[in-house]
Amino acid sequence: MFRKVLVANRGEIAVRVVRALRELDITSVAVFSDVDRAAQHVRLADEAEGVESYLNIESILEAAKKHGAEAIHPGYGFLSENARFAAACEAAGIVFIGPSADSIRRLGSKTAARTLAKQMNVPVVPGSEEPATHLEHARELARQIGYPVLLKAAAGGGGKGMRRVDAESELEAAIRDASSEAERAFHSSEVYIEKVIEQPRHIEIQIAGDFYGHLVHLGERECSLQRRHQKIIEECPSPLIAAAHPEMRAEMGEAALRIARAVRYHNLGTVEFLADGDGNFYFLEVNTRLQVEHPVTELVTGLDLVHLQLRIADGEAIPFAQEDVEWRGWAMECRVSAEDPEQHFFPSPGKIVQLREPAGPGIRLDSGVYPGWTVPLDYDPLLAKLITWAPDRMGAIRRMLRALNEYSIVGVETNLAFFREILSDAEFREGRLNTRFIADYFSRREPVAEPGQELELVAALAAAAHSENEKPETRNEKPETSAWLSEGRSGLLR
Amino acid sequence: MKLQILVNGRPVPVDAEDVRGVAQVEPGVYSVLLAGRSFEVRAVGSKEGLRLELDGRRFTAEVRDPRDRAQKSAAAVGTGRQNIAAPMPGKVVRVLVRDGDAVEVGQGLVVVEAMKMQNEMKALRGGNVVEVRVRDGDTVSAGDVLVVLG
Repeated sequence: MFRKVLVANRGEIAVRVVRALRELDITSVAVFSDVDRAAQHVRLADEAEGVESYLNIESILEAAKKHGAEAIHPGYGFLSENARFAAACEAAGIVFIGPSADSIRRLGSKTAARTLAKQMNVPVVPGSEEPATHLEHARELARQIGYPVLLKAAAGGGGKGMRRVDAESELEAAIRDASSEAERAFHSSEVYIEKVIEQPRHIEIQIAGDFYGHLVHLGERECSLQRRHQKIIEECPSPLIAAAHPEMRAEMGEAALRIARAVRYHNLGTVEFLADGDGNFYFLEVNTRLQVEHPVTELVTGLDLVHLQLRIADGEAIPFAQEDVEWRGWAMECRVSAEDPEQHFFPSPGKIVQLREPAGPGIRLDSGVYPGWTVPLDYDPLLAKLITWAPDRMGAIRRMLRALNEYSIVGVETNLAFFREILSDAEFREGRLNTRFIADYFSRREPVAEPGQELELVAALAAAAHSENEKPETRNEKPETSAWLSEGRSGLLR
Repeated sequence: MKLQILVNGRPVPVDAEDVRGVAQVEPGVYSVLLAGRSFEVRAVGSKEGLRLELDGRRFTAEVRDPRDRAQKSAAAVGTGRQNIAAPMPGKVVRVLVRDGDAVEVGQGLVVVEAMKMQNEMKALRGGNVVEVRVRDGDTVSAGDVLVVLG
């Protein structure tokens, strides 16, 4: 096994990987940008090195060489799906913990991945094979596919450069917006067009492969709850698959593996699908890295996916067969972010003044912050992932609510209270999910009831006690001001 | 002794004796036992007064020193003008009074929505409405005067 591994990431995922490294007796090397000098991942790692940025390949490789790291774990985001980085690691004699640069390249382009999926008999959402080159071309493509259509950035992800278009009259403005957004985010203004699946669910399959061609799927995760096309609650199993279409797990798993086999995929990856309520599913894209929501799969399968990544990268064979994979109970994850749900989930950077973290049975918290840490403006507002496990879905929900009750973050706005609302919602509890759930929820949301006299009185009592504590007179009641002390002091001076 | 605390802009009288029963369990964190029920409150001082978190909700609070009040209250609450100000940034949902209206103690004046909660700003004493400075739908900042009573 590797002796030393560099973690080319920050925040909760860097902490997650550092923990796995320690469990395997591997020395961890953290990297940090200027604003992250005091970040949690730097505090927890064995070694640390400042870098220009988490996106600077040369700077990160230099840090790896300086510290003698044999491998680099890229986490998610940043350089994790950058084929050039994977190739640069290889050229420098450092193991990139992930798939080959070639796999990343072939699956990274959405259009290329779609073409591959079709070749492998994996259903895809009807749409354009190539990016729309100009407005006339886009009109023609959209007409062929049929409205409503979705515009998507060819190089994109995370919802950037994405627009729904209901009629041809909206197309021109939408193309303009989507292209410029894509250009800003990905330096490529290419967009392609596909059919809108109404009430779609987002269900994805976790895959793993070793260097010896052994590929397995580890089941699905449902990530239908999204805001601005970014997942906020994920679970395993999918309520749709568990309740109505148990056959989908094997079907989708097999479809995902067909794509993986075609590129001789190794290490971990995720194949994302859209699904409708009738058990149809359509290939969306492949994420050639560890996913944010990997813990729900870990809790249900009992596997440690980061350990698995490290073992695979080190040349070990996957030590189990497909039929050995078992799914036990239910896991759910909430992405706790410094953002304000009341202001369209606008990021809320700032200092975490107070923090109380939940614990107890069935709770896992993957956090990247600590009290006193200032959440920087520069990065994604994700603070922590709160994950619960229980024998069934309702148990996992109740546990999540209990944990959210214990969880308190003061100093920045967070989505904790919003999660409490969602987890109490009847439609959510019935598992009637789709990717527009959050947007629809806001339109049917009832205003929160006023706090009531009891809570107001409690708040008033605490406020009075607090102001009593903060009073200058009480604060200065220290021995220095005692008459006995002053008497003693003047005695000494005499 | 009774203390007057403003919670979300509303006066809440508390007993000084009850305040002594509040335990500070961590810096800025208070355990409050009320009628046998256990609550935990997190308090952070800010420019707009005190911000509290309790039961997943946010509150603002303002504590008036009783000695200050002894001097000011006669003037502020007894006679003269009284400004009703927004305790936090929000949106005016409803104005309940008009210029010249006579109001009683505790009567609602303006409903302000902030942090998805509606707060009714009430008269701290009786009097006449001298000036209404906001209209339905206005956005207000913390400290903005909503209504002047005379």
